[in-house]
Amino acid sequence: MVVVRLKPLEEILETLKGFKRVFIFGCELGSSRCKNGGLKEAKNLGEELEKFGFKVTGIRSPGGTCVLERIASPERNLLKEAEESSDVILSLACGAGTQLIAENVDIPVLTGVSTIFIGAERKGKYFDEYCIACGDCIISKTGGICPVARCPKSLTAGPCGGAIDGKCEIDPSMPCIWYTIAQRLEKLNQPDVLLKLKTPMRDYRKSIYPRRFVVED
Amino acid sequence: MSFSKKIKNGKFIITAEVAPPRGIEWKTVIESIEPLKGKVDAFNVTDNQRSMVRMSSLAMSKLLLDSGFEPIFQLTCRDRNRIALQSELLGAAALGIKNVCLMTGDFTTLGDQPDAKPVFDIDSIHLIQTAKKLESGVLLNGKELKGVPNFTVGAVYNPFAGPKVLQVWKLRKKIEAGAEFIQTQPVYDVRVAKDVHDLIESLGAIPIIGLLPIKSLKMANFMKKLNPTSIPNRLIEGLERANNPAQYGWDYVIDIAHAIAEFGKGIHFMLVGKTAELAAFIDYLRNNSPYNHKF
Ligand code: SF4
Ligand code: SF4
Repeated sequence: MVVVRLKPLEEILETLKGFKRVFIFGCELGSSRCKNGGLKEAKNLGEELEKFGFKVTGIRSPGGTCVLERIASPERNLLKEAEESSDVILSLACGAGTQLIAENVDIPVLTGVSTIFIGAERKGKYFDEYCIACGDCIISKTGGICPVARCPKSLTAGPCGGAIDGKCEIDPSMPCIWYTIAQRLEKLNQPDVLLKLKTPMRDYRKSIYPRRFVVED
Repeated sequence: MSFSKKIKNGKFIITAEVAPPRGIEWKTVIESIEPLKGKVDAFNVTDNQRSMVRMSSLAMSKLLLDSGFEPIFQLTCRDRNRIALQSELLGAAALGIKNVCLMTGDFTTLGDQPDAKPVFDIDSIHLIQTAKKLESGVLLNGKELKGVPNFTVGAVYNPFAGPKVLQVWKLRKKIEAGAEFIQTQPVYDVRVAKDVHDLIESLGAIPIIGLLPIKSLKMANFMKKLNPTSIPNRLIEGLERANNPAQYGWDYVIDIAHAIAEFGKGIHFMLVGKTAELAAFIDYLRNNSPYNHKF
């Protein structure tokens, strides 16, 4: 899931300076799951903005703001609704959703969140970065655990010399992911998997952005 | 005898560490190691160690060379991609710097420019492979070189890091990739030194065991925090009891150095404060010790 973080109210107010009628978009996928930009947060933000003299013209939070059909279909055209009623759109969707809105309307589109990572969720509370979309997934060979995203140095050939006591050299509150990988493989009784792992230099052409993916017919 | 010859002939190696200045005042750095001229075999020149900006390690290596010291150019993957790393290695070779010590490098956020972009395009094993590739006359992409470098390649090993099986796996890969010598993190126990020595030697490289004299109880506790298993309690207790902890810390490490001189292949002094004392110890090893034949 794409995880976002709501910007502080002061920052949002600052970017909205000079506008009056604000239409707010949330997103019921990522932004809502991490409670930083779903319908609920959009409504709260709307109330705050009204206190500061803005007119909130509408609040919508589709299940997938980064899917064009979800925000602009012939039956339910949220973009048109926003465009006709407002001076500005404030989006709490991830960077992709917000840009998709922006390229389809003729009024300014601002963001109220920062997109922080692709992560996994636990207990509706903890979100951890698990994947950086490197374009060349290797986790079948590392116990289903990703060292590219979960080791700050993206080391794919084993731990660095700072891996001490199971903790990461960069932040002792994090595990060194190589301990986690080793434990996992031990549990699966596959200790040799790693020792046989070939770890060539990575081909960064696979992660040079912007990338495009085309669904084949 | 040059460092590389000594490595090839199995002579006992003594290396030390020198950090380039923060700024351009390099002469005082050279002056500070003057007493060790002709005694320490080669000086590791650190590469923005702990992610703190210093003068370039390549430039300092060249200044050392010009001043009559043999450098070991340290190069990390933190700040340069594979294009820059190949270019640095070629530059070093052209300047007459043969010895390199190749490592992944500390992470950016640990230093004094934590907002910098970490690179880590390739890792330490790849960097060793890169140096060997250049020695074979081609770039990583296979393009032929005009003039072929020749390095003495080293790498590092931290005996206190884990998981052990993966650290050893990685060490083996470094040596298979072409590391001829391995310098270790500081060791404070003869048994650990012997084990590490045996491990590295069994994998086919020359072990150069790291030694870092402890100057105070505070320093020992700091090291213990970084690397809990590296500092034995006996060292802490000794420092607590000592009238002169700095002297105690020095003698402690010299005792280990003695033991390594008996069974080992090399020692690496990571902090050269006591240059006169170190010079005297090296003189003793060379001239009066029972192991003088090894030098
Ligand atoms: S290896 Fe790459 S694609 Fe696979 S989980 Fe890690 S970052 Fe994502
Ligand atoms: S301690 Fe482990 S997770 Fe942290 S940088 Fe080193 S190898 Fe990566």
